Amino acid sequence: MDPSHIRNFSIIAHIDHGKSTLADRLLEVTGALSHREMMDQVLDSMDLERERGITIKAHAVRLDYRASDGDMYQLNLIDTPGHVDFTYEVSRSLQACEGALLVVDASQGVEAQTLANTYLALNHNLEILPVINKIDLPSAEPDRIKEQIEQVIGLDASEAVLASAKQGTGIPEILEEIVRKVPPPKGSPDDPLRALIFDSWFDPYRGVIILARVVDGRIRMGQRVRLWSNGRTYEVEGIGYQSPKPIPCQELAAGEVGFLYCNIKTVSDAQIGDTIVDDANPAPEALPGFQEIKPMVFAGLYPVESHEHGLLRDALEKLRLNDSAFNFEPENSAALGFGFRCGFLGLLHLEIVQERLEREFEIDLITTAPGVRYLVTLLNGDVIEVDNPTKFPNPAEIKQIEEPIIDATIITREEYIGEILKLVEEKRGMQKKFEYIGTGRVLINYELPLNEIVLDFYDRLKSASRGYASLDYHMAGHRVSPMVKLDVLVAGEPVDALSIIVHREFAYDRGKGLIERLRRLIPRQMFEVALQAAIGNKVIARETISAIRKNVLAKCYGGDISRKRKLLEKQKEGKRRMKRVGRVEIPQEAFLAVLKVAGDSSD
Amino acid sequence: MPGVYISYPFCAQKCTYCNFASGVFPRQLEQDYLGALLLELGRVRWQWTPETIYFGGGTPSLIPAPVLRGILAQMPGFPWREATMEAAPGGITADLAAAWREAGINRVSLGVQSLVEPEIRRTGRKHTPDIVSQEVALLRAEGIERVNIDLIAGLPGQTAESWALTLDRLEALHPDHASVYMLEVDEDSRLGNEILLGGVRYGARDVPDDDNTARFYETAVDRLAAMGVPRYEISNFARPGHESVHNLKYWRREPYLGLGSDAHSFDGRWRWRTPETPAEYVKLVREGASTVMEREEADEAEERFFLGLRLDEGIAAEPDAIAPHGEVLERLAAAGLVETTSQRLRLTRRGVLVSNEVFQEFIR
Repeated sequence: MDPSHIRNFSIIAHIDHGKSTLADRLLEVTGALSHREMMDQVLDSMDLERERGITIKAHAVRLDYRASDGDMYQLNLIDTPGHVDFTYEVSRSLQACEGALLVVDASQGVEAQTLANTYLALNHNLEILPVINKIDLPSAEPDRIKEQIEQVIGLDASEAVLASAKQGTGIPEILEEIVRKVPPPKGSPDDPLRALIFDSWFDPYRGVIILARVVDGRIRMGQRVRLWSNGRTYEVEGIGYQSPKPIPCQELAAGEVGFLYCNIKTVSDAQIGDTIVDDANPAPEALPGFQEIKPMVFAGLYPVESHEHGLLRDALEKLRLNDSAFNFEPENSAALGFGFRCGFLGLLHLEIVQERLEREFEIDLITTAPGVRYLVTLLNGDVIEVDNPTKFPNPAEIKQIEEPIIDATIITREEYIGEILKLVEEKRGMQKKFEYIGTGRVLINYELPLNEIVLDFYDRLKSASRGYASLDYHMAGHRVSPMVKLDVLVAGEPVDALSIIVHREFAYDRGKGLIERLRRLIPRQMFEVALQAAIGNKVIARETISAIRKNVLAKCYGGDISRKRKLLEKQKEGKRRMKRVGRVEIPQEAFLAVLKVAGDSSD
Repeated sequence: MPGVYISYPFCAQKCTYCNFASGVFPRQLEQDYLGALLLELGRVRWQWTPETIYFGGGTPSLIPAPVLRGILAQMPGFPWREATMEAAPGGITADLAAAWREAGINRVSLGVQSLVEPEIRRTGRKHTPDIVSQEVALLRAEGIERVNIDLIAGLPGQTAESWALTLDRLEALHPDHASVYMLEVDEDSRLGNEILLGGVRYGARDVPDDDNTARFYETAVDRLAAMGVPRYEISNFARPGHESVHNLKYWRREPYLGLGSDAHSFDGRWRWRTPETPAEYVKLVREGASTVMEREEADEAEERFFLGLRLDEGIAAEPDAIAPHGEVLERLAAAGLVETTSQRLRLTRRGVLVSNEVFQEFIR
């Protein structure tokens, strides 16, 4: 189609502000789907996405729309992931668009996530069309929200569409606005091919399927294409677009969005943000903005049953086929046996992988405390990256340690700001901005160590704000910090899986909290067990678990031997599920204790 | 020679600490049950003569004397070497005791649990220490010399002092047999459940901790030994020669036949049980159907350890049986939990208190 009649747009919205309902409406009104098909077709995605109400993978749907000027337009709706862990993916999806609908709930107002993604869109010079949704609610205050959009984002909201996706109001206006205000794509179909990969996934029958936006030129069936970042070449075996069912076609031209597959075996070969060029006539330059995705959060994954190690490796390899953002390498823990050190984009990403392993592959896992990657400068001048406490160099050889820092924005109601400030201060935050945005709402901007976020920040923020706080962050470099490695010794033996890297000032409290918690989680053993928290050789906290005093079965009533045997069997089975470190049996929960030792040690 | 166990799961009230399938049921069911029991007894083809009979419960002392006579009359071997009646203190009259004796009962096991009044009341029982001593005297006067006193260590409110008082009063009864159990906390009893859920009912908050309960038990072991009633099994104590012949069969893996509901049997090779509820039992017996459930072959290699080691005499340290466990036994001996003396493998004093930890080693 003539690029002048193409519009590429995405939807920016906070969770629950009505993005999916709006998308469904747009599909329905343009006739892409009947009302009946809506349920099973549109959200043909992972269970996890549906359950959590978040989008993990991007989608791109083509809508054919006859505008009021009488012309047919091709509207491409590019649905982006909606979580801070996936900021890079969001930015690539936005790069594939010329415009974005900014959907704000008419009673809730602007949230941190919305704000961050809107700025991201503005950075890509997208035309932003504000939509105030849920105006049918009695608590809707569209005028106040307009004001807030202008004040917080600095966007003219005077022409914002007032909509209720639920009731279908405002949908035709939104479609007209898209045609009228979103600029048509600029590229020319006659230039050499440049297409942006903004998502990819693995299909067992076709190999990797790429979602791409053709920026310049054309991409055709049978064409030999090259991926810019790795120089590999492939022949296009299939090409098409989603409407929302996949519809094959012969080519995609400049401005268009669609999918293609070309026998790529793993998604790590088709990285998000990479540029597809023609192999015979390559464009001289790649599209800007490509980055290798770097994991930010690291944790050890171990099978509860050590014989499932091979199973876990196979499962990780399968997941990695479809998710190049996480990586793993074998790791050996004295406490937990053979497992894998895995890197993730963030905590949600970690949780997703963990849940998929448990659900889709039915593997019971022990996850060690998530941590971050430190830059450690040694006395000899070498700089090494350390993301695993067990690989932390000897403190005597360390010149300095830099920890990753994030720039975090939190929006909340003013009644919770006191609690939240206490929390971010406790988390070693540095205030950069404090602003009242409209009535009763506050925006704060803090620099925070990522290490503090991965511990329990989300839960704490949620409880401090009763759920009325939204958080967004992006990486903001490194800062030199006095970090130390805190070890836990059980009966004199260091338990590697319980070691954490912690700020020196927090080491005592955290060590004390941790072993207090462990004392409650580790059952009494046949002998007294000493629990110690130590930095290097220096013990900073100590607890004792006294020996079991009694474990006796009293009655064998009327000769009921089976009951007795069953009880012994149950006790034995309970032990079998624990991990043995030295002579001590440690239950799985103990390894999770590390996750919950901030501030107070109460449960 | 085999023993017979007759189960009577009916009680006047359900005790807070009780984790058995017994309790209060409708009156009609109680009668139907006795009818079914007589019916089932009539179907037993006695190819052997019971050496011992044991009425357990529940509260079998509630069985009306004529019915009891009828039950015992159906079994060969009168007078039996040992015929025990479990009884709740508080309902034993001279007439009843005489009726028992005439029917063949020659041993009574009294569910005393404590000899300190407030502790007794909190369990839901209604007797007093005086009633216990009167009834013990009465039984002896009627010719039932062998009396066992059941005690529980770890009842709500129990202290070192109150426990000592219970033991003093026990001594005054001159028992030739006693049982001391440590309270079992599990979800099958009201009290156990309350403790697990962190509640306050039944004195759940006043239950002594494990360490104290263990201490009470050890005090009892020492005191009873001093009275000339040493321990012969983890929970059982007797003047030498007065051990319960019937109960020893359980630990020595000798055969016994269980009749009634929730009763267990062992024929030297197979173990089986009967239905748990009296209603189910009655139904099966009336239909003429088999009451045998969960029949399975006993695992001798396991049982000889977790049953035999409960006895003070331990088990014969025969090389054939011991050798496969050499490594485990060495470890347990090094930890001071088992010892071998005069060719017998036994639990040590500490081993008794953590016997489950020892027994687990022999469970496959």
